[in-house]
Amino acid sequence: MDQLILASEECDVVNEVICAPADVKELFEFTDVIFSIGPLGFTRTIILFFLAAFVVVGLLYFGLRKRRMVPSKFGVVIESLLDFVKNGIAKDIIGPEGARYVPYLTAIFLFILVGNLFEVTPLINFPITSRMAIPAFLAIVTYVIFVFIGFGRNKFRYLLDTVWPKHVPIGLRWLVGLIELVSIFLLRPFTLAVRLFANMVAGHLMLTLLLGSGVIFLSAFPEIGLKALVGIPWFALGLGIYLFEIVVSVLQAYIFTLLSAVYIQSSVHFEH
Amino acid sequence: MEGNIEVLKGAIALIGYGLAAVGPGVGIGIVVGNAITAMARQPEMAGTIRTTMFLGIAFTEALALIGFVLFFIA
Repeated sequence: MDQLILASEECDVVNEVICAPADVKELFEFTDVIFSIGPLGFTRTIILFFLAAFVVVGLLYFGLRKRRMVPSKFGVVIESLLDFVKNGIAKDIIGPEGARYVPYLTAIFLFILVGNLFEVTPLINFPITSRMAIPAFLAIVTYVIFVFIGFGRNKFRYLLDTVWPKHVPIGLRWLVGLIELVSIFLLRPFTLAVRLFANMVAGHLMLTLLLGSGVIFLSAFPEIGLKALVGIPWFALGLGIYLFEIVVSVLQAYIFTLLSAVYIQSSVHFEH
Repeated sequence: MEGNIEVLKGAIALIGYGLAAVGPGVGIGIVVGNAITAMARQPEMAGTIRTTMFLGIAFTEALALIGFVLFFIA
């Protein structure tokens, strides 16, 4: 909300047709320390980060507290979410061995889902996954898991068969090996993190620009007269994007979990 | 006209992002189109096809998103 007020002061409603912040970074960087415990300063992002974690733990605790034959409505939602990750992602992609990875996949799915949905939650309006640190950390965890499984299950053959694939004609082996090496060990974690990050940044930017412009123009009606009507299409478009962003939030959480499962599967069943 | 190098940089970054969006746009179209064809032919396989379609979209989309990030870095 402070950001919006800041933008409305800067925005030149007489000459502009859309209000853009002078620097995009100010929509994402909250450097004001709200409170601090010892040397750890808590900014808005960090508070939301912990809030997301508590929300996930709370959902699971209150959803699964009483396991009854006929669960409550809330319990059904939580159980179907867990069942979706267990059967729809883990068992479908990894196979029967997927049961071991269900806790990890459930944890990242719910955390990213809650973090993404903060984007469209009134009064919060900030997806924590649009700060690169969080998707990058989650991607690194997935990376460490699939590399460890790859080396643990296949020993050194994991690296050897990657750079020297036996099923490829000998003349092309070095090229395919090089591409595979770069793709598995560098591009996979990078694209996994950037995909989530860029989607949420794009969504947050669009929502702030459109809804912010709409509100600012409409509220400037006494000063600029009929030109305030410019705000109506911005606001309408913003509401459309708002619905779209709910879908994107869920879809990106699903895709991150799905790709983590696919990468783990490629290490569990490593046969080239 | 001096001092407009920043504006020029922004314009070039915009063009770069536009170019980066062309390929993935075509690619996602092909992925989804073929997935719809497959679902129409074998509706009983729709669940598997949908999962694979999202995977294909995710891989294709990455290029456009990298372009989007580079637009802000530039």
